[in-house]
Amino acid sequence: MTDVPVSRIRNFCIIAHIDHGKSTLADRLLQDTGTVAARDMQEQFLDNMDLERERGITIKLQAARMEYKAADGETYILNLIDTPGHVDFSYEVSRSLQACEGALLVVDASQGVEAQTLANVYLAIANDLEIIPVLNKIDLPGADPERISAEIEEVIGLDTSQAIACSAKTGLGVPEILQAVVDRVPPPPDRVEEPLRALIFDSYYDPYRGVIVYFRVLSGRLRQRDKVLLMASRKTYELDEVGVMAPDQRQVSELHAGEVGYLAASIKAVADARVGDTITLAADPAPDPLPGYTEAKPMVFCGLFPTDADQYPDLREALDKLRLSDAALQYEPETSSAMGFGFRCGFLGLLHMEIVQERLEREYDLDLIVTAPSVVYRVNLVDGETVLVDNPATLPEPQQRTSIEEPYVKLEVYTPNTYNGTLMELCQERRGQFIDMKYMTTDRVTLHYEMPLAEVVTDFFDQMKSRTKGYASMEYSLIGYRENALVRLDVLINGEKADPLTTIVHRDKAYNVGKGLVEKLKELIPRQQFKIPIQASIGSRIIASESISAMRKDVLAKCYGGDISRKKKLLQKQAKGKKRMKAMGRVEVPQEAFMAVLKLNQ
Amino acid sequence: MSVPLPPSRRLPRSLYLHIPFCRRRCFYCDFPVVPLGDGADGTRSPSIARYLDLLHRDLAAAPAGPPLSTVYIGGGTPSLLSVPQLQALLAAVRRRWGLAPAAEVTLEMDPGSFDADRLRGVLAAGVNRVSLGGQSFDDGVLAGLGRCHRRADLLQACRWLRQARAQGRLHSWSLDLIVNLPGQSADLWETTLAAALAEQPPHLSIYDLIVEPGTVFARAEARGQLDCPDEDAAADRLVHTHHRLAAAGYGHYEISSWALPGHGARHNRTYWTGAGWWACGLGATAGAGAERLARPRTREAYALWLQQRAGDQGGDGPPWPAPPVDDLLLVGLRCREGVPLRWLAGASGLTPGALQADLEAALAGWRRQGLVAWDGGRLRLLPPEGFCLSNAVLRDLLAWWQGRRGADAPGRPSPAGCR
Repeated sequence: MTDVPVSRIRNFCIIAHIDHGKSTLADRLLQDTGTVAARDMQEQFLDNMDLERERGITIKLQAARMEYKAADGETYILNLIDTPGHVDFSYEVSRSLQACEGALLVVDASQGVEAQTLANVYLAIANDLEIIPVLNKIDLPGADPERISAEIEEVIGLDTSQAIACSAKTGLGVPEILQAVVDRVPPPPDRVEEPLRALIFDSYYDPYRGVIVYFRVLSGRLRQRDKVLLMASRKTYELDEVGVMAPDQRQVSELHAGEVGYLAASIKAVADARVGDTITLAADPAPDPLPGYTEAKPMVFCGLFPTDADQYPDLREALDKLRLSDAALQYEPETSSAMGFGFRCGFLGLLHMEIVQERLEREYDLDLIVTAPSVVYRVNLVDGETVLVDNPATLPEPQQRTSIEEPYVKLEVYTPNTYNGTLMELCQERRGQFIDMKYMTTDRVTLHYEMPLAEVVTDFFDQMKSRTKGYASMEYSLIGYRENALVRLDVLINGEKADPLTTIVHRDKAYNVGKGLVEKLKELIPRQQFKIPIQASIGSRIIASESISAMRKDVLAKCYGGDISRKKKLLQKQAKGKKRMKAMGRVEVPQEAFMAVLKLNQ
Repeated sequence: MSVPLPPSRRLPRSLYLHIPFCRRRCFYCDFPVVPLGDGADGTRSPSIARYLDLLHRDLAAAPAGPPLSTVYIGGGTPSLLSVPQLQALLAAVRRRWGLAPAAEVTLEMDPGSFDADRLRGVLAAGVNRVSLGGQSFDDGVLAGLGRCHRRADLLQACRWLRQARAQGRLHSWSLDLIVNLPGQSADLWETTLAAALAEQPPHLSIYDLIVEPGTVFARAEARGQLDCPDEDAAADRLVHTHHRLAAAGYGHYEISSWALPGHGARHNRTYWTGAGWWACGLGATAGAGAERLARPRTREAYALWLQQRAGDQGGDGPPWPAPPVDDLLLVGLRCREGVPLRWLAGASGLTPGALQADLEAALAGWRRQGLVAWDGGRLRLLPPEGFCLSNAVLRDLLAWWQGRRGADAPGRPSPAGCR
């Protein structure tokens, strides 16, 4: 099956906004090419993590090889390379685009183009990919393919005269898409005789075989039992397996330039075979690696603490295991007088953080306290040194530092123009600097701001969605560090400093944030046996305070014989819930309270 | 270790009978009731007649046992039954179990659902204690609760009950009130209490409002339209009530119950001490040791259950499994006298010393605040503040017990199995 000539290979991906039907279309392609029989079809075959299936979003990309008999009577190999659909994973997207020659741009025929799609299409265009516009969900009553075609032409500048109207759900238009992939996506360049260079575009950890690496061969050949060198990690491995995804893994003896496949080589952790790395032959290495490799850098940090101190070793073990399959996850031990032992963890973004938290709780059965996310600050010290601070509680004292710099992003919000006003107001509140506003179509605009990342990683996304009834979408990328008048805002609960609630805020917002924070904490921390003062301070100066009264009444007036089981269940559940609280000093603080700073606007 | 436990081997000596009919469903009520409309009356209503047929079948097929010392006919509004209907029911009870000498026979009655003649007939039929669902002396509050009766009806009913007691026809009676209602100011509550005391009921049940899911109140609360006193105001009112009634000679013997000496509800005490009771009727729950048997809550399901009836009134009969630690605490701490430590030691399998140490660890804070005590061989809540926070104390106790059981598993035998 690998003696296929390069001219009959087509490598492509699907670019789509969440909910625009990417996974459904992928499933349909697998089914129509007979790669997966309809009866074996689990919904959304490519998203094979439970979490992904539940959320209906693709986090980790996968690939599938299909055989398709085209109109010319020849059988073609179509490799579909899936791409993650979230801004947290844009680096992975760029690598999978590099592995393709073409892309299906799937746009919901009633919704139109979204910011995320836009960002990825530009990336695809920059990578010289042939783009085939597909208007999906045309079977739905709200579909307006003409308007959306016009929008794609206007916004992206793509010729949509050959756009394909389809319904992934019913299968309408799917044969046309397959034929278009053969006709319009160029075959890979024939570089079979050159030295081996293969691009890793995904990997996952298999407990029995080690890391499974997904790659695209750009030049040369790769055979069973070859000894390979990973050019960035500088590690060499002897191959155990080489194969293709059809879509289940099937071993082959050789893969050559243009093909997409997987390998297993007893690699211990995904960090040893990172996305973007170049595979070459140890004996006959290529002179240069493929361009574009970078190590994913965590942008968002938070503390993870077990609610039950006894679970600390379990948490360490779980993180060690997750790390095997998640190269972007970073962590190091953190100790806090308030929280005991835990870890400071770094993530690509908020979604990545939530996924890791959820996996730890679900797959490893841990009860965790997660502190509010923070970014990495650059702190310039009096002695001329610069330190990086990813935990607000460890920010050096004012007399030790000369300035603080914080990361900034270029933010693009794509929205129907009716929401301009409210979104500009939101960006303003979040210390955004207006750069420009472009009308993409007559009723859609792109707002362009520069904004501190710290403002984006709080509840910005939720606010944007709620202010625009879900219509706006956004995209951001890091543009560097800027100095700002930042201060450390501490929270004292019952007179004791609560490290995990410490935040770094702009001086002009400190008073409002402090006031909002103590009010929110008063709401989120339940009354306890005694009165609890809650204060916010900058240095030694208290800027806001509230207090939680002692609990006075908690009683069920009526409890006759029959009621006892219901009451018992309720109280037993609540008694268990006490374990979900972290004792800070003598005060029991529920998980929600640690996220209070994200909820100031609710 | 010799382990004295509550009387779970004894056959019940109490009976609860449920009469689900009401004229209307009150806004706070989530009991299994069947509203019949304002004109409803036992003699004319075919629904009531049909239900009583079922209830008689339930009674006739109930397991035998010793003569009863307490019978409680509750609802619903059991005073909607006609005197002959009530006579027939009590006759069936006598046929099935008999009544012990000086048995307490309580009937729940609503103001406006009876007159002096009806009361006379009810008492002649064998009822010797009445629980009067007064709820409030304020017409505005009564309307806000969805009640049928008004202040005048309540005053009238109290007068008849007082007379009956003075004439020796009625042994005791209780007045039900609800506190911490929406729109009920502290002054209005004080007026209500004063009005209640003026009627000289030997027993008072004062219920702190619970907003139960599915009720009219719950829907109002969800819309933000239920204006109840806040936690501090509500606690103030409960504490005030305690002191006000203590000054009038009423003992606060259970979280929601006050009585003049000798007038505590004997029937309710069976629920709180873990003794068993029979129960008949729609949605009624019987208790036998640790077991609870709830009958279905709809008439159709109840009728079907009666046809297929099997293993009711507590499985295979005595001895029933002894109540586990949680149950002992949940019901026992409702009463002023609390739970004997030796019962807790027995049910937990702990030595008295270990139990003491555990209680100290789990409840030291509450004891320092004067809400809990475990002297004199009993663990108890100290009214009024201890009663007001009973759930908070129970949560700590349940968390302690969950931890204990978690720590003990799997090596030791389950403590609940010790008898």
